[in-house]
Amino acid sequence: MKKNEILEEILNEVEKHPEIMSRREALKYLSVSPMAASILAGATIGASSVSASSAKGKIVIVGGGLAGMSTAARLNNTLSNADITVIEPDPTSVSYQPGQTLVGAGLWDAADITYNRDDFLPSGVKLIKGSVTAFNPDSNSVTVDGSQEVTYDHMIIATGLMLNYAAIKGLDGVITSSGTDNASVKKTVGKDGVHSIYFRDGSTATWEGIQELVAKAKAHKGPEKLQAVFTHPNTPIKCGGAPKKIMYLVNSRLEEAGVRDKVELTLYPNGGKMFGVPEYHEAILQQYKDRGFKWHYAHNLVEIDTKGKVATFNHHWTEKGAWDEDLEEYGVELKSELVEVPYDFIHITPPMKAPDVVANSDVGSDKGWVPVTKETMRHVKYENVWCLGDVAAVPMGKTGGSVRKQYKVVVDNLVASMEGKSLPSKYGGYTVCPLITSIGTVMLAEFDWSKKPTPSFPLDPTKERWIWWLLKVYALKPMTIHGMLSGRA
Amino acid sequence: MIKQISTIALVAIAAIAFTGCSGEKKATEVKTYKYSTTEVYEKSCSKCHGLNGEGNVEKKTPALNDRTAGEMAQDLFDVKNGGTNQSSGTDHEIMEHNMQKLVDKGFDYDINSMAEYMSKLSKK
Ligand SMILES: Cc1cc2nc3c(=O)[nH]c(=O)nc-3n(C[C@H](O)[C@H](O)[C@H](O)COP(=O)(O)OP(=O)(O)OC[C@H]3O[C@@H](n4cnc5c(N)ncnc54)[C@H](O)[C@@H]3O)c2cc1C
Ligand code: HEC
Repeated sequence: MKKNEILEEILNEVEKHPEIMSRREALKYLSVSPMAASILAGATIGASSVSASSAKGKIVIVGGGLAGMSTAARLNNTLSNADITVIEPDPTSVSYQPGQTLVGAGLWDAADITYNRDDFLPSGVKLIKGSVTAFNPDSNSVTVDGSQEVTYDHMIIATGLMLNYAAIKGLDGVITSSGTDNASVKKTVGKDGVHSIYFRDGSTATWEGIQELVAKAKAHKGPEKLQAVFTHPNTPIKCGGAPKKIMYLVNSRLEEAGVRDKVELTLYPNGGKMFGVPEYHEAILQQYKDRGFKWHYAHNLVEIDTKGKVATFNHHWTEKGAWDEDLEEYGVELKSELVEVPYDFIHITPPMKAPDVVANSDVGSDKGWVPVTKETMRHVKYENVWCLGDVAAVPMGKTGGSVRKQYKVVVDNLVASMEGKSLPSKYGGYTVCPLITSIGTVMLAEFDWSKKPTPSFPLDPTKERWIWWLLKVYALKPMTIHGMLSGRA
Repeated sequence: MIKQISTIALVAIAAIAFTGCSGEKKATEVKTYKYSTTEVYEKSCSKCHGLNGEGNVEKKTPALNDRTAGEMAQDLFDVKNGGTNQSSGTDHEIMEHNMQKLVDKGFDYDINSMAEYMSKLSKK
């Protein structure tokens, strides 16, 4: 990663929106400031560069997305006798998924976020273009595409997760975000007002859907508002903020077109709060009130009639139950009902799960996700198996921001274990969610397992700020693509 | 908008993007608990889940001795926090209610220590 490459990437992004900042201006600030320059220089050397090791062993990495490929690069930088194999079927596996939110809102194109796996394979690292179809951890091997047996001394599982659209009645398909094998989902999603930014093609279609909604709103007469509905499922999801980000961006686009008053925007999350961290929960509630959004907690999308444009939610709640002797308190009873919600536009965040091949194997768990000791990222049963990224059973993770912390922990610990040393590195649960609250503002929600805000800057972390918008839109992509995927940032 | 640009802003961006966020700096709070993990389990959890964590069909409680400490820690985190994700909620609304009541009564505990304890139950 060259200093100039990063600078160039940032400037390219800046150039796309001259109304916000000109290239000349950006260049001036980035190069004139000696501090900015020294930070950039520091990044190229890598503040977190790892010391070299001559440990030996065959390492197999299953999945070459953000987590798998970054880990391959960092191990490759660290081990002087590296023997690393990445198994990945998708030619565009390293595409920049966080950018799908911006594609959905018409700020970027799919071409801005599509990156080729083969361009990011670190030199010397072997690639098997295929899918693991069986894990055999007791014999230290995996099966690729049903036939090829690949053995390892150490394995890293980084398969990411599956978008389970098929779990919603009326939809079909279980797919990945970057993959192009998504015809089954596109039969119903990406048209007729049904949208989803969670897969790349879906994000392109979402922008068309928003424009249709705007056009419809412009033509709309009468007191009844058009209904824009946003869902959040009952499973862990990647980027927990994205269901809300797209809502904020739709709001921005409607405001910009002068038709915000024609459309009701409502969030239907399965859970009972906006965010796991109380400070951010409160901040988001206030943002919702300020914008006139509606929300109904404890609603899980279970069925959709895409012809009649009606979404059915399972609404659930608890009621005071009988006195419980063991608890020495009143217990609660579960209640539920089905609620039908007509929509003009619906954004679906699908339920998500671990790939079946992982969940149903010995390396999976009853809930599918790979069980790791969450501090060390080592598998709870197999000492030579490690896991990171979206497929790991780690609370609150599932973002590129958490991968950025985890992959360093995995590399440090794996190398130490290859050298027969104790594990030096611990993951503390750090996650970052740059919550886009409008075109031009972001609340940078950073937190960890303590469920307390962990801001990196001495600024109130619950405030929406323009500078975080710049961070999100201009700096995070080059940091990810050039920094992480080369194992350095 | 242009006027808002300051060197400070861009330096801040560069700093967070490239030097890594100092998420690890947190002050380690030492939390003290009223009862030991064993006491919490024996005085409270065992009433519903059984002394060996075997579960109880009549009380509709699941077994808790069938998973590793790592898996258990995740499940405890889920129940104690009302879900492990931002707005996904939890499948354990009854136990979420119970846990809040138990914590109020002083049966609070460290998740890792409880997970460790439970993973050994079946082997007693
Ligand atoms: C809409 C959206 C918005 C997001 N916004 C943000 C954000 O603002 N900030 C943030 O930090 N993160 C964000 N993320 C999340 C971030 O993209 C993911 O957390 C990150 O990509 C996880 O990396 P991963 O390597 O675990 O999974 P992935 O990058 O998904 O890669 C997994 C790879 O494994 C491969 N694979 C699967 N099964 C197999 C198999 N059996 N054999 C071999 N290979 C296999 C897949 O083909 C895939 O390429 C967002 C994601 C989406 C979809
Ligand atoms: C009053 C009875 C009662 C007490 C006391 C009780 N539980 Fe539970 N617990 C239940 C019931 C009923 C369920 C199943 C329903 C649910 O998950 O919401 C459950 C579920 C759980 C689960 C989820 C299981 C899974 O499969 O993921 C965990 C974890 C748990 N309890 C831990 C504990 C711990 C730890 C204690 C002690 C601090 C405790 N329970 C005390 C009744 C109880």
